[in-house]
This record gives sequence, C-alpha cells and structure tokens, in this order.
Amino acid sequence: MKSLVTEEEISNVAKLMKIDLEDHTAHIKRVQKMLEYFDILDNANVESEEITVQETDLDKLRDDKHNPYDKNLLKFLKSYQGKYVKAPKLN
Amino acid sequence: MDLGISALNYVSSIKNGEFTVEEFTSKSLERISQVDEKLHAFLRVNDLAIKNAREIDTKIKSNQNVGKCYGMPISVKDNMCIEGSKTTCASKVLENFIAPYTSTVISKLNSEDAIIIGKTNMDEFAMGLSTEYSAYGPSRNPWNIDYVPGGSSGGSGVSVSANECIASLGSDTGGSIRNPASFCSVVGLKPTYGLVSRYGLVSYANSIEQIGPMTKTVEDSAFLLNIISGIDSNDNTTIDNKNQDYLRDIDIGVSGKKIGIVTEMTNSEGLSAEVANATNDAVKTFEKLGANCEHVSLQMVPYTVAAYYTITSTEAGSNLARYDNIRYGYEFDSSGFEFNSYISQARSKFGPEVIRRMILGGFVPSAGHAGKYFLKALKVKSKLIAEINHVFEKFDFLISPTVPIQPFKFGEKIQDPVAFMMIDFNTVTANLTGIPAISVPYKITNGLPIGIQIMANRLEEHSLLQTAYALEKTVDLPEVPV
Repeated sequence: MKSLVTEEEISNVAKLMKIDLEDHTAHIKRVQKMLEYFDILDNANVESEEITVQETDLDKLRDDKHNPYDKNLLKFLKSYQGKYVKAPKLN
Repeated sequence: MDLGISALNYVSSIKNGEFTVEEFTSKSLERISQVDEKLHAFLRVNDLAIKNAREIDTKIKSNQNVGKCYGMPISVKDNMCIEGSKTTCASKVLENFIAPYTSTVISKLNSEDAIIIGKTNMDEFAMGLSTEYSAYGPSRNPWNIDYVPGGSSGGSGVSVSANECIASLGSDTGGSIRNPASFCSVVGLKPTYGLVSRYGLVSYANSIEQIGPMTKTVEDSAFLLNIISGIDSNDNTTIDNKNQDYLRDIDIGVSGKKIGIVTEMTNSEGLSAEVANATNDAVKTFEKLGANCEHVSLQMVPYTVAAYYTITSTEAGSNLARYDNIRYGYEFDSSGFEFNSYISQARSKFGPEVIRRMILGGFVPSAGHAGKYFLKALKVKSKLIAEINHVFEKFDFLISPTVPIQPFKFGEKIQDPVAFMMIDFNTVTANLTGIPAISVPYKITNGLPIGIQIMANRLEEHSLLQTAYALEKTVDLPEVPV
C-alpha cells in the first residue's frame, strides 16, 4: 500500500525536531519521495521475523566507577557562568 | 622522491635512510599546496607537521624506539576528534568546535609515530556519497575533476589517490569508505563492527558505523588495521582481536576458496554495463587463481537501502539532537530568543541533507509510523543477518561491484533522492550485518575507476585481506593523472 504521508505530517515532525523549514516545499517533497520509496519494505515479507538485538554481557562492560577528568571542560562552552551553562529563557 | 609509494615502502625507505621524515613531509605539504586548491581534499592541514617530522627524525638519528609508522603522513576524516583542534564534520554548525579529547584511533596512530597531516573533507555529518553535501564545498575526483570522488569520506579518498599523503582514515556507515575508494581507485576497508574503536568519532548511526583505512595497497590496509584495531575500554562495542597480525601470510592466495557472486548486486537495475563487465572479469580472475565462484542469492538485498536509511535516519535524529548550539556550536547570541526558537534558529545552519535526515529520523520511528518503517527495517536487518550467516556456512567470501556505477558528474544525481540512495545498493549489506568488506581498485574504464567489493564473515579480516591482495596482484592500473 502506498504511503499517504502529508506535507502537514512532515511539517509537524520538523517542528518537533526543532527545525525551522524556511523552504518547506523543497525539503518536504524530497522527504515524501524518500518515504514513498521506503514503502518497498512492505514487500519484504518480514512480518513474522523476530528482531535480533546486539547484546553485551554485563561482565564485558567497563567498571562502573568514576574516572576523574582533569581538564577544564567548562572552558570549551560558549557561554557559562560559574559551573552552569547559560541557555536561552524557557517560556 | 616518489610520493606515490606505499606505506610499507615508505617505512623501508626511511629505515634505509633514502630520505628523512622531514623531507617526505615537506614534499607532501608541497604537493597539497600544488593540487589541493583544485581537489579540495583537505579542510585543514596540520601546522605542526614539520615540527612533528623533525622530532621523529631526531628519534631515528639517536636510535630511540620509533613507532611502526616512522612519521608517515596520514590524513583523517574531519569527524574524528583531535584534542585542541577543530573537528567540523564539514558542517557550519561545528565551524568552531575544538575537540576536548583525542579519538582512540588517532591516539594509536600517534603512539606509532604517524604524522596526522590534515583533516579531510566529507559530506556534512557523513550524510552523503559524493561530498556534494559538504558545507565547505565538494572535493574533486583526481581522475577527472568534473566528477565526484564519492563519499562521505571523499576527501580521504582524494588525498590518498592524489598522493597528498600515504594513507587516510575514513568512516563507513553505508559505504562511506568503500564508495570513495572505488571512485578514486584506492583500497578501502570497512572492518567488522566492533573491531575498531569509535571513541572520538562523531556519531551518526552508532549501531553500524565503523572507522577503517583507505590506502594505496591492500598490504597498507592490513598494516594500518594492525595499528587501529582491538579492544578499547572507552568503547564497549569493541572486540578483543588478540593482536592479530593481518599482514601475516597475506600472499597465501585463494586456491580452493569458495566465492559467492551476489546475484542481486550483479544483476540490479542500476548496474552499468562497464561495471558489470569489470565484475565478470574479476570473477574470471578469481577462477584463474584457483577459487570456485558461483552465484548466490541474498533475498533481503532489494530491501536493504530502505532499511538502511530508515535505521540510520532514526539514529541520526537522536544523535544530532545534541546540536542545540548551547553547549557547543557557533557564535550566535541567544538574547531575545525563547529556548525552543533559539534552537530552531540555530539549527538553520544545518545543510539540506542533514535537515532531511533529521526529519526522517523523527518520522520513521514515531508513534503510528514505527510499525510501517522502523520496526520493519529492523526485521529486514535481522533476516539479512540470518541469510548472511547461512551463506557463509557454504562460502568463504562474497563478491560484487563496490558501487553499481562509475563516478558521476557534479549535480548529475543529487536532484533525485531515490536514485542517489540506490548508489549505496551494494555497500549497505556489510553495515547492516556488521561483516567486513573491502573495495579493491580493479579497472579504469573511460578514464574513471571501478572497484570490486569482497565481503567476508565477521572477524575474517585476515583471510579477506589475503583474498583482496590476490586480486590486487593481477591488476596493473595507470597512474592518477593529477
């Protein structure tokens, strides 16, 4: 079945991803084309397939301990005050 | 002095005193200044390269321990961090980002006395396959500068092909090492997922991307893999390879090996006649070398491009969420902005492909759509892994063209997003399944390169490199014209 992804749906997702689409049409048409192509997944006949996941044994994880970082990371921030990052106001 | 020598020959020449590290580094920098205005392989060149070269020369002269690289100039894709220097991912968003730490692969190269000669151009955040999506302008193919060099590690491919350095490191999420290797006629290896640490690699799609070497010869890829592979406590996905020597017995040959010719990749709609001919020729070459070649079908391959873009966009949507321009980014005053509108405005600096992948990445896993896209893509991936496991019970290797077409002209493909995605048709399988794959330069047709892809089972890099070496030894290609 062909997807019926509307421009409005794509535009809403863009807003959720905090992306301002100045040139809506160019981006949306292209995303629509890509999504239409993804419809090919409907023909793969994988409905009954189990999803396998990458597993890592707990004993292979590094020790859960604090590793001190001796460099001043704050100096890499563009804008900070004391030990706080300065961010724009939340409404 | 031949700037086109291999890494292994470079090491011998330095050991034999044929030239000094400083002399070779100076010549390499000269070469960069001569050709890179035209080719644009580099985003930045290391100002300390000559100083580093002199230090290594001093070590050599005073009989101190010298690392395996003996000062060879190596370029790295600009998505790997080096403490105190810029890492831009070819994006305006990270225009002034100074990395606070060094990636494991670069630490390993430094500890073996490599000279990082510069950072190379790429598609923004590694999203693309031609470098046309670099925010700093594309790189150009040294075989014909009107054509793309492939991507996303296009700058790395160009830098090696045009003899601006001895070797390079690229990263490969869906073919980003192998595609430019094929287009620029260099060797490009995507290792098994987990064989090389990703610590310090700027994330795009963590579950499938890998760092790997791009070199002039197969032996050089084995040489670099010896250095960069192995377990890393800073990357929990890494595998202990017990310090395997990938150079050992590299010339053992392929007699008696079983090679599967992937039907879907050698019979696809988009395959050009020139690439098909070269692939048939490579198969015949393997048969002459004593290998047994027969066709094998991987039925999930036609769905891999859609699955790949669905999975990688989802991961990209998550990974790129960190670019809010608050903790790091470019100079953009926040006064007068509300929190969300500031981030939206700041993200307008992302290039068009990154914006589209973020939108896709928000859409395909979202409630109401995940079942149709994301979950189905994961199921395709699982079934493909099962197919690959089954196929490697019978075959030692799989073969296909690296890319279904030869390099194309700038602007020729970029307007059609589906045609553009299909260029990844033969490469994404190795990423989705985690297996190693290598592109070997095989032919120059109409003045443009064609590479052959060989894939092996997980952690079979040793035999993969032996097979690639056997093919490489049958080939005699012309010098790059630049």
